[in-house]
Amino acid sequence: MLMALDVVAPALSGAIQGAVYGLLGLGLVLLYKSNRVFNFAQAEFGTSAAFAVLFADNGTGPLPNLPLPLAVVFGLLVATGLGLLTERLVVRPLFSAPKVTLVVATAGVTLLLISVQGFLAGAEPSVLQPLFAGDVFDTGSVRVTRQQLVIVLVLVVLAAASALFFSRTRTGTAIIAVSQEPTATSLVGISVTRTSSLTWGLAGLLGGIAGILLSGSTGFVSPGSLTGLALIPAFTAAVFGGITSLPGAFLGGVVIGVVEALAQSNIPKDVLPGSGRVVLFVALLSVLLIRPAGLLGKEA
Amino acid sequence: MSLLEVEGLRTGYGALPVLQGISFSVEEGETAVIFGLNGAGKTTTVNCLAGVLPVWGGEVRFDGKKISGKDAPGIVRAGVALSPEGRRVWPGLSVLKNLELGAWVRKDRHEVAGTIAQVFGYFPRLDERKDQLAGTLSGGEQQMLAIGRAIMSRPRLLMIDEASLGLSPKLAQTVFQVVSQINDDGTTVIIVEQNVGVLPYADQALIMEKGALTFDGRGAELEESGELRRTYLGEAAAAAH
Ligand SMILES: Nc1ncnc2c1ncn2[C@@H]1O[C@H](COP(=O)(O)OP(=O)(O)O)[C@@H](O)[C@H]1O
Ligand SMILES: [Mg+2]
Repeated sequence: MLMALDVVAPALSGAIQGAVYGLLGLGLVLLYKSNRVFNFAQAEFGTSAAFAVLFADNGTGPLPNLPLPLAVVFGLLVATGLGLLTERLVVRPLFSAPKVTLVVATAGVTLLLISVQGFLAGAEPSVLQPLFAGDVFDTGSVRVTRQQLVIVLVLVVLAAASALFFSRTRTGTAIIAVSQEPTATSLVGISVTRTSSLTWGLAGLLGGIAGILLSGSTGFVSPGSLTGLALIPAFTAAVFGGITSLPGAFLGGVVIGVVEALAQSNIPKDVLPGSGRVVLFVALLSVLLIRPAGLLGKEA
Repeated sequence: MSLLEVEGLRTGYGALPVLQGISFSVEEGETAVIFGLNGAGKTTTVNCLAGVLPVWGGEVRFDGKKISGKDAPGIVRAGVALSPEGRRVWPGLSVLKNLELGAWVRKDRHEVAGTIAQVFGYFPRLDERKDQLAGTLSGGEQQMLAIGRAIMSRPRLLMIDEASLGLSPKLAQTVFQVVSQINDDGTTVIIVEQNVGVLPYADQALIMEKGALTFDGRGAELEESGELRRTYLGEAAAAAH
């Protein structure tokens, strides 16, 4: 007789967790598509946004005590601003430097953001309430919260919207054009610097949405928490989906989330501790070896 | 007044000066050809005129208005377009998308389709391949696309850097004929060339050497004088040995 596998509950919770990876992966794909850069700071745009929501909601320091929806808007503005600042202070000065320099610089931005968060909030995790309280259903073994449902819906909408943005709008096409031939792009009248700001602002916003939703779902935020929880899986999701495909990041996220959850709940800890992450790395390596272009990988 | 007036133009790369202060002008409706050996400074000149390289000194006026100091988007808005050396089409975008992006600065969006039809009239080959990714085109087709993209902004002055590089002599002639047609249709043209096959189309001819102009006269004058064959081809032949 086959060993009974625990499938339904972990697959569902994994898919939901995967939606968060996909959400973070969208920002990674956006920046990879337009700058050919892997942005290590993507998750920290999110953690910073979650802290900003917390501070604004509590009226910490000089901030007014805002109602939650406004605090969320504030958090999204902070994340967008961080994307714009990173572009202006780090990306633009390194415009003609080798890409690897820029990647290392984004790792520097990550460390800087984590220290600022620690300085402002302390190292202890802070409690964050979910934006949407309550459950969609709870059968005892399987439970889906409202917040989780919102995460999945937001991911679907954003993945579709950003894919349409690139394939249908002039601005989206301009971003791709800059990534392929910056000089020719400026020769037809497109401002390369403005396009770069726009891209990083959007990436900041996407990171902020991911950070606020995930932290609300786990119920806490601490310095660097999103990098620790989701950056590597999000990267795996993006690579899995083909690194330049926005729907690919979505699909990759869900696949990665499910695989991770199935491994976690079916491989005993004494056999393979941390099986979720191990399986994730194996998945990443397999994609890179077997199908480096990813599931939906093709340019533009 | 000439359409383009260049006065004492200086530029270079980093701290390295290349153009030492060149002056020339181009008349509206004409075709000017810039000849010169590799490294003479032809690409540096047109890139600087197009705003890709900063102006270190001197002044450039287009239709009487100063354009030196503007960036590349500002200069294409003023009516000067460059088909750059090496073609530089967007390889991952279709031929059609390449052309549409070429019209970025235009306000009359509904008339863009008409200009695309005009480009397809000049280069029927592009029409046949309009949905193909530009990166999969042959070198000659990419050159046609680069020129087509530059016309999409409806420039008054079209600059083409090394149109014939890497093309068969027959294909190069085809490209020259189309450029001559574009010129007849009312666009002033500056062509950078090493191929003397372009000479019959040159109203004005310029020769560059080491960042300076050594000849500026009429095309016919240059052809009769044998200046080009003596200095330019003579040196090229000498360099080949
Ligand atoms: N990106 C660059 N950096 C430094 N020097 C350059 C660069 N491009 C061209 N040069 C130098 O400028 C001079 C003129 O080059 P260029 O304008 O490309 O000549 P041409 O187009 O006539 O062949 C050459 O000496 C060349 O080495
Ligand atoms: Mg050149």
